[in-house]
Amino acid sequence: MAKIIPRPQLSLLEQLYFVEVFKGMALTIKHAVRSLAKPETIPVLNYPEVQPELPAEHRSEHRLMKRADGTSRCVACYMCQTACPARCITIVAEESPDGDIEKRPATFDIDWLLCVFCGLCVEACPCDAIRMDTGKAILVEDSRDAFIANKDRLMDWSPADYPAEDIISQEAPGGLLNEQALAAMQGGMFSAGDVADVADKETC
Amino acid sequence: MEIILFIAKFGLAFIPLSCIAIMIFLERKGASIIQDRVGPNRAAIKIPGIGSVRGFGMIHNISDSVKLFFKEDFLPKHAHKWYYILAPMLPLMTAILTPALIPWFAPISLEGVEVSGAIINANSGLLMLFALGALSVYGVVIGSWASHNKYSLLGGMRASAMMISYEVSMGLSVVGLLLLIGSFNMTDIVEWQAANAWGVVVQPVGCLLFIVSMFAETGRTPFCVSEGESEIVGGFHTEYSSIRFALFFMGEYAHIVIASALIATLFFGGYHLPGLNTEVIHAHTAGVLAGLLAVKALMLALFCLMTTRQKKLYGALKASDKAVRLKEYSLFQIIFGGGALVAVLIAAVLMFIPMDGLLSELLTAAIQISIVMAKTMFFCWVFVWVRWTVPRFRYDHIMALGWKVMLNVALVNLVITAIVYKLLIETGVISG
Repeated sequence: MAKIIPRPQLSLLEQLYFVEVFKGMALTIKHAVRSLAKPETIPVLNYPEVQPELPAEHRSEHRLMKRADGTSRCVACYMCQTACPARCITIVAEESPDGDIEKRPATFDIDWLLCVFCGLCVEACPCDAIRMDTGKAILVEDSRDAFIANKDRLMDWSPADYPAEDIISQEAPGGLLNEQALAAMQGGMFSAGDVADVADKETC
Repeated sequence: MEIILFIAKFGLAFIPLSCIAIMIFLERKGASIIQDRVGPNRAAIKIPGIGSVRGFGMIHNISDSVKLFFKEDFLPKHAHKWYYILAPMLPLMTAILTPALIPWFAPISLEGVEVSGAIINANSGLLMLFALGALSVYGVVIGSWASHNKYSLLGGMRASAMMISYEVSMGLSVVGLLLLIGSFNMTDIVEWQAANAWGVVVQPVGCLLFIVSMFAETGRTPFCVSEGESEIVGGFHTEYSSIRFALFFMGEYAHIVIASALIATLFFGGYHLPGLNTEVIHAHTAGVLAGLLAVKALMLALFCLMTTRQKKLYGALKASDKAVRLKEYSLFQIIFGGGALVAVLIAAVLMFIPMDGLLSELLTAAIQISIVMAKTMFFCWVFVWVRWTVPRFRYDHIMALGWKVMLNVALVNLVITAIVYKLLIETGVISG
């Protein structure tokens, strides 16, 4: 059954057209004067000189989190590779020299040409080893091969680029920094349940 | 003396040409400020000692013209060569010829030689203007025909049909005014308005019809059917590239300037401002000039304020090119602020310079030219303003509006004007 939408009936003034035109012109001149008199109200950035402020939830290029000793937190559990809808993650596992940890990734490749930046890998990771908070979203490379990021490239980030007051953005909890990170979390940023979750991950 | 006058009048023909650059800037910046954008500001020139200067997007004019001049002048194999080359010249040619008929200042006498404000002070002035204005449609029609391309031809057909339709109501809308004035001479028309009332006061309906017809004549939004990217590729200029394409656009913008000057002259008093007759300006040349300079100083001060605000805004941002941009803003602060001070100083000095006959005559003419130009630029802005406000009409709506509404309103307006004028004369309210 088709829905019949009645044609809007124009009033006499609207049918005259000129009155509506003048109304529209009043609106546009208001915008023009506002743009000139109050440039701060223009919602435009002088990109790329001025960079936008990205929200914390913004998903961009991945990075692999590090332990305090500089090794990757990844335990090669294949959870992210399994969760990935674009199948852009390729992990090859090997035995870990650490007695407490079973495996570690020999290679960890992400093909950014396949990646859809959905963030499911971050959700899936049980160890908080992969994050998408680098803020880098412009991928410019010369060849297709250069878009495949290996483990070294994913771990090549500096703590100086992340907020110093937010300790868990510097180092993932666990190892030497665990006490410190837990203290920061208990300072009010997270609920008790979150802290308990993180404490469970101590074996990562 | 004759030769100097000839050269000076020749210079007036370049008014629409020099206004083209301003029009392009006005169009882009007008669009951006109406749509809450920053607008074009990327082209920059490096001035040694100052750094890169963007000039609020003015530099884009230079880069555009350089690009258009040096692009390949492509001539399609299937085009009719002679007419293809001829077509872009026609709109610009007519647009350069028409300022000769517009009175830029009141007639002055220089050492006994009577000089009229229009270069051609013809008694058929308005008719000649309309005739020349109508010629510009030939550029579109010939260009579209010579392109030998169905989209070009469709665009040209649409443009020519529309322009011819609106020419009728354009002509009829001024007849009411001409009935009151009784002369086709452009100087007479302005003098009548100075003596009685502006055309917009005595003929408000005619004025509105004339402005709308002028929008159609120049092929501007809401009547821009001659080009439609979504319908007929580029319209009449589909096959044109490089400077030939630019000539079409220069013709369009020059036509806008001429149309604005015509609206200002016919309905908004031309070189006359209320209270500023030619005699008044002539008697108080220094005072009027000082007043104009004060207005200019005020505008420059406003620009300076605007630059200061933008500088402050940019200074608060985290920008990678902050130092360069702040330097440029400082430069423009100095230019605008200094300009305002210089204008005030000149205005103050003018008070002490005795204005004798010749100087006074020339300055009167200069003041009146600037009055006409100010009005012209205002109507140029109205063209831009309307373009970014009103959506375009469908083609059959344009035809219906032109033939079924505007023509009838113009005719009724003419009849009512004639009856009222006759009655007023018969009852002795005014003398005929």
